[in-house]
Amino acid sequence: MRAGMTSSAGRNILFIATIAFFATPIVWLLLAPTKSTNQLSYLNPLAFGSLSQLGTTANNLLSYQNGIIWAWFFNSVWYTLVSVSIALVASIPAGYALAKFRFRGNTVILFVTLLTMIVPAAALILPLYLEMSAVGMVNTPWSVILPGTFYPFGVYMIYLFAKNAIPDSIIEAARLDGASEFGILMRIFVPLARPAIIMIAFFAIVGSWNSFFLPFIMLTSANLQTLQTGLQALVSATGALGGGNLSNIAIHAPEVAFATLLSILPILLVFLFAQKYLAAGQAAGAEKG
Amino acid sequence: MAIDTQVAPTVATVAPEPRGVARRVRRATPAWRFLALYLVVLTVFGVAPALYGLYQAFIVTSAVGGPTFSLVQNFSDVIGDYRLPTASLHVLLYLLLWLPLELVIVFGLALAIDAKRTRFAALTRFVAYVPGAVTGSAAALLWLFMFSPAVSPIGPILSALTGKQTFLSDQSLPIVLAVMGISAGAGGWIVVLYGALTAIPKEIIESAVLDGASAWQIARLIKLPLIRGYIVFILVVSLAQGFQVFVEPTVLATGATGQISTTWSINQLAYSYATDQSNYGRAAALSILLLLVCVGLAVLILKKTNFYQVGER
Repeated sequence: MRAGMTSSAGRNILFIATIAFFATPIVWLLLAPTKSTNQLSYLNPLAFGSLSQLGTTANNLLSYQNGIIWAWFFNSVWYTLVSVSIALVASIPAGYALAKFRFRGNTVILFVTLLTMIVPAAALILPLYLEMSAVGMVNTPWSVILPGTFYPFGVYMIYLFAKNAIPDSIIEAARLDGASEFGILMRIFVPLARPAIIMIAFFAIVGSWNSFFLPFIMLTSANLQTLQTGLQALVSATGALGGGNLSNIAIHAPEVAFATLLSILPILLVFLFAQKYLAAGQAAGAEKG
Repeated sequence: MAIDTQVAPTVATVAPEPRGVARRVRRATPAWRFLALYLVVLTVFGVAPALYGLYQAFIVTSAVGGPTFSLVQNFSDVIGDYRLPTASLHVLLYLLLWLPLELVIVFGLALAIDAKRTRFAALTRFVAYVPGAVTGSAAALLWLFMFSPAVSPIGPILSALTGKQTFLSDQSLPIVLAVMGISAGAGGWIVVLYGALTAIPKEIIESAVLDGASAWQIARLIKLPLIRGYIVFILVVSLAQGFQVFVEPTVLATGATGQISTTWSINQLAYSYATDQSNYGRAAALSILLLLVCVGLAVLILKKTNFYQVGER
């Protein structure tokens, strides 16, 4: 009993330390838009500024170039949605097939998948750009969406899940019952793999939302930018992060912090939704039916 | 029969799958149909650009005359670059600091959170993930502030450590990047591991409790071995990520001008070949050398740990 008490106290101390480490920068970020640039350095780092200052900050940001930040926001949303949908349709059957069918080339595809996961991104960007320009897609949304449909991490995670968590006997039993291979994938594997699928969908959404170099290279029009590249353009155009802010545009560190908050908000919402599924519903016990 | 339904790759060592009628059979056609779309994107957006990059590595750009073909020129130029040893040392220091710390933190926290699923544990899992949503320019701004003693919440600690008003420098960057890496990356892996832990059948844990095992013993002797396969996976992916570190030192350097070299990491050096010198051949050559090191290490780790057992189990 006593051992249980100490271990739970130790656990709580560990959790408090963890929360302090991970939350402090975020709390700072939440508070930064409530302060003016000057207040950022002379007030306590974790002090609250004022609501009216927050209003000023929000107004400065949202009126920048007639509210172009909303265009960036909606670009990010739809690039991500289309890209991730195609990525999932490609990855789920592939990972399942790699784990559950034996055929020539199985190991080769797995190896190439792992290999492409570790190819330096810098090495792929220029060839991708040349590919896209050959088919005339540079500076269109497709130049960002299509390369994003390649999602080896998702294939790998589905492969690991199918191989280790789904017994062959379930699939074999469905085959004996006369189910088609596609029917087995859709009606047996996909429901059983829901936690894994939600997990890879979640990481795909985060990856796509945060993707920076691809849109940075591919998109030149201001109104095609994503929130990430737009934010960078905003920072470098206004010199908000040091360097001289010679323009009279009211974009400074608090406005950038506010834009940062806008850019992470959707990810936090998706995480809140996904985490219910990440823990619930496992394949364990599936065989008992 | 619930025993063969785990997520952990190493489960075979604990509970071998029964062999017999229920083995997968040779059915090649549906397999290719399921793989078709993935193979298309793998080829077009993965393999083809990689091969093109490979080809570029043998094209030598020179100041006078057109491009020429050489098997070794770009590679020897890159290896002879005086900036490469420094950049390699930087990256190595960062990896040595970051990887062990990240693995210990990720596994320790995932097991602690799973040990008793209290609300506080769920809150910790959530909070640990949040910084993973802050990347790119956002992360740069945030960490520039976090490591500026004047405005940072940990400012007093930073000033005490250095006695200066600036903390960012070529030398301190491995520490900064390790902290940034853990802050942005650990939460994601904790989510993955927690998912794997929740997939461990209750029966196994319950019988261990009946046998009188403590929570600590269950975590160390039952759960950890079951999710051990992920150590390899995390290590391989993180190793590749770490070797290629690029965005963070780049953006930190733009915010802390003069304090951080623009060719701090290996990938930054490759990028500077491509952009500052318009020498894509050298950039590609360095990328390939980097890839070879990553693949070599990955293969070594995978071989040593028998991670691949396709069709063997």
